[in-house]
Amino acid sequence: MYYLKLIWTFFRIGILNEMAYRVNFYVQLLQSLLSLGTAIAGLAIVFSHTDTLGGWQAVDILALLGVFMFVGGVIGMVISPSMSQLMDDVRRGIFDYTLTKPCDAQFLASISQIRVWRLTDILLGAGVLIAALIYRGLDIGPREALAFAFVLCTGGSIIYSFWLMLATLTFWFLRIENILHIFQSMYEAGRWPIGIYPHWLRYILTFLVPVAFAITVPAEALSGRLTPESMITSGLLCAFLIAFSRWFWKRGLKNYSGASA
Amino acid sequence: MSNIPDITVQNLGKTYEVPQREPGLGAALKSLISRTTRDVEAVKNISFSVAPGEIVGFLGPNGAGKTTTLKMLSGLLHPTAGEISVIGHTPYARHKNFLNRITLVMGQRNQLMWDIPVADSFERNRAIYRISHGEYKKTLDELSTLLDLSDLLSKPVRNLSLGERMKCEIAAALLHRPQVLFLDEPTIGLDVTMQRRIRAFLGEYNRRHSATVLLTSHYMADVEALCKRVIIIHHGELLFDGDLSALIERFSPHKTIVVDLETERADLSSYGEVITAEGNSVTLRVPKTKTADVTGKLLANLPVIDLTVEDPPIEEVIEQVFSN
Repeated sequence: MYYLKLIWTFFRIGILNEMAYRVNFYVQLLQSLLSLGTAIAGLAIVFSHTDTLGGWQAVDILALLGVFMFVGGVIGMVISPSMSQLMDDVRRGIFDYTLTKPCDAQFLASISQIRVWRLTDILLGAGVLIAALIYRGLDIGPREALAFAFVLCTGGSIIYSFWLMLATLTFWFLRIENILHIFQSMYEAGRWPIGIYPHWLRYILTFLVPVAFAITVPAEALSGRLTPESMITSGLLCAFLIAFSRWFWKRGLKNYSGASA
Repeated sequence: MSNIPDITVQNLGKTYEVPQREPGLGAALKSLISRTTRDVEAVKNISFSVAPGEIVGFLGPNGAGKTTTLKMLSGLLHPTAGEISVIGHTPYARHKNFLNRITLVMGQRNQLMWDIPVADSFERNRAIYRISHGEYKKTLDELSTLLDLSDLLSKPVRNLSLGERMKCEIAAALLHRPQVLFLDEPTIGLDVTMQRRIRAFLGEYNRRHSATVLLTSHYMADVEALCKRVIIIHHGELLFDGDLSALIERFSPHKTIVVDLETERADLSSYGEVITAEGNSVTLRVPKTKTADVTGKLLANLPVIDLTVEDPPIEEVIEQVFSN
């Protein structure tokens, strides 16, 4: 309950922060609509040449696009800004204030910055997803919906843990924003089902930069092609990464308190 | 006040491993592959204790180890040697009961958020420290009155002057009513009026709540106004721990004598070192042991209107300490 209240407080502060620069809202909305427009145009072009792409129908890829935008919105709203803030705070010594708070430092660092306007991506993503489902005739049952919710949560947690580990490197190296830019470009690859990529790239997008679990796997759940294996793998990888990133974070903190001046 | 100290430090030491690199591109490239490090002892074998409700000035030149010690006391750094206990806790364990009862203010680093009103930054701390609304209102009212914040609370931090921002930083750090305050240069960069304001506030806060305060500052006026006791460290070692008056007694071999005469431009250089001579007022520096002697002679030989014997300014004494 305490943590939920804190999230709400930070969310409210996020709104206040964004209100200071209201033009940003319109810029963000325009940007979200533009990226949705170009994505749909891209889909239209591809599917004017073919009926299926790697076994995926146009409408399934539209659902995938919805998931892509939704997850991208969550990353852009909380994970990416908070992790950038963490790196900045560590470099400027302000992270000391986080450490003197009687609250879990990882939790505080993970929600420290909330870019509320990125909600546009989340809502548009959800809209596209629902539109795709309606277009298909709302043919998913409660089992698919549950499976979807499960792999979306595990996929999201995998992405978060992955991002946290990258940001934790800042305790040793201080300047590593570039790694995050690399991630951002890899994430772009997730707008297509990873099955269409060559084997080596598929491997990278699954395990090295776990975009597959955050986007393709949830979209698979909606189009009835989710295998129990992927679901179990996603669950196990999620549990492992949460534990591992936590351990890594604690190592980082130890290094910070051992070395920083 | 109880007899159990709030802060106990025993044989505290901190050694940093610092990467070492020769200048030049070649060395920079080499350091990408293998880093050579050297050990720097920032704090060496320091021991002291602070009683509840005491204000202690923590002095030393830049790089003396003051900030390192404060960081170890507030749980940010692990000591490499020795023991610390603050209100019964080992700081670096960062137990919630410990963190709830201390606060850290660093004059050069801000925790308030830049773009939103001060009150909303306070609200964040309220939520983090689980302060009830009633308690929060009471504390905020008190801090607002003492620091004169009421006009500032609704302004975004970026619109505040440095001094106003510092007042708000200090208030933010006290919302949870900590028992122990670690203040690292809380008045740095502020104008004299604002320094005095913050000083007066800290003194008042300490009196009202019997808070224990460990304060570092480069401004001796802060120390003179607030701290009966000072701890001086230099090159990581403890040089002095005791009353401010004892410090002056011990480290200053001189006294200052100010004489007002009936005549102008008298030459008093035979009595001691003349520091200033303006009109009929002359300031002399004399060895402490000769003070009585010189005073007697001045009164006997010259048409003296007024004469005072003073301790030299604390800055001078501190300079003396560090030059030894």
